[in-house]
Amino acid sequence: MDNNSEQKPSNFGIHRPKENPNKGGSLSEFLPQLENYSPTIPDAVTCYYMNSSGLNCADPRIVRLISIAAQKFISDVANDALQHCKTKSSANPNVNKNQKDKDGKNPKDKKFTLTVDDLAPALNENYGIKTTQMKYLT
Amino acid sequence: MNDSRRKIMKEAVCLLVSEAGFSTATEESLETLTEMLIGLTCEIANQTRNYAELAGRTQSVVGDVLMALINMGIGFKDLDKYALRENRPMARNMNPNQAQKPLQILQAGTKPSNPVHIPSYLPPLPDPHAYVRTATYKQPETEYESIREKSANQKRDIEKALTKFLAKTCAETHNLFDNEEVQMFPLIASKPTTVPAYLSALNPLDQIFDFEELEYYYQVANRKPDNDEVESEGEEKRENENEEREAVSPPKKRKNKKSDQKKDSDTAIMRPPSPPVDQKPQPLPQEEEKIIDNPFLKLKKTTITS
Repeated sequence: MDNNSEQKPSNFGIHRPKENPNKGGSLSEFLPQLENYSPTIPDAVTCYYMNSSGLNCADPRIVRLISIAAQKFISDVANDALQHCKTKSSANPNVNKNQKDKDGKNPKDKKFTLTVDDLAPALNENYGIKTTQMKYLT
Repeated sequence: MNDSRRKIMKEAVCLLVSEAGFSTATEESLETLTEMLIGLTCEIANQTRNYAELAGRTQSVVGDVLMALINMGIGFKDLDKYALRENRPMARNMNPNQAQKPLQILQAGTKPSNPVHIPSYLPPLPDPHAYVRTATYKQPETEYESIREKSANQKRDIEKALTKFLAKTCAETHNLFDNEEVQMFPLIASKPTTVPAYLSALNPLDQIFDFEELEYYYQVANRKPDNDEVESEGEEKRENENEEREAVSPPKKRKNKKSDQKKDSDTAIMRPPSPPVDQKPQPLPQEEEKIIDNPFLKLKKTTITS
């Protein structure tokens, strides 16, 4: 291993393409913004779950960071489920029984319901999470 | 289901799902997502702690969180954009309504801070004026002199009041002045007894064990109709308070001799225990001249107050 001079930190001779320096930096810039942030999950609840895992929540920014990360995951799952739902609804063309009375159900006005039928494939395809659905209880 | 935190997590899931575009959702799917959210939070926290401990720290840093996310395969590049997105749902306020603070106008003195062992979310301790002790009574006097003085004063006051009361209500009175009309300073008339006063001190007394028995014995002793034994009676049983009674009883018996004996003697017997003051005015004025030889004890004729 070839050590560079002591002046700058060495790469041990391994030269890598310069990566985006802002990748980690953007997050560190984001950190001060977290101080006044109010996430969807209250801090106290996140703190409780962190305590149950053994992590102390002295720094509120860490708390919010974790809660944001978890939120984002759920949001992504929900968005994927929505996509599934939309594709399913568009795959089955809705027959308008009476065009005078009702408007055709536009995607804009349509109300979506999150069901396990949409959730399961979304989880399975994108995240590899398999959910079992109990049809009935014996 | 009384886990409040789980409920809040489910609420957050509902917010996120509705933000995604759904208007309704099934219970099952919501429960699934809630479970995932809780599990994910715990797992991120756990791995963060592990990375921190791996680095030899006890306090976790942002880098630990990032390492945990990378390890789990969760991207964080868009995390800041996601966090600062518009119209994001806000969590509800977790702090309960602040209790109305009582008016601080009447605050007396500065309130010291709570002791260490008392948490801050408990209601505050009262103002320091609540701890001030003001004795409502005076320290009792324990000096012998003052106590003696007080008791002497009290005794004198009692005697004075009692004599005044008696003089004005029931007893015969002498007047301090010669003038009979003016009754400014009434004195209770002294009723001389048949026997000398010092006799009670000279006679030996039996120790009294039972007052009721004594009463009975007295009645038995008095049942004798003979009046010759008046003096022997007086010698047999003598108490200080019975002196006056004996003075009453012989004149009564003399009086009753004139009338029917047995009935009145019975009633006369029953009378001695009651205060003899009421009966005194009747028999005495008649017998006074007979009994008293002592010139100093001769009474002046005064108005008899009943």
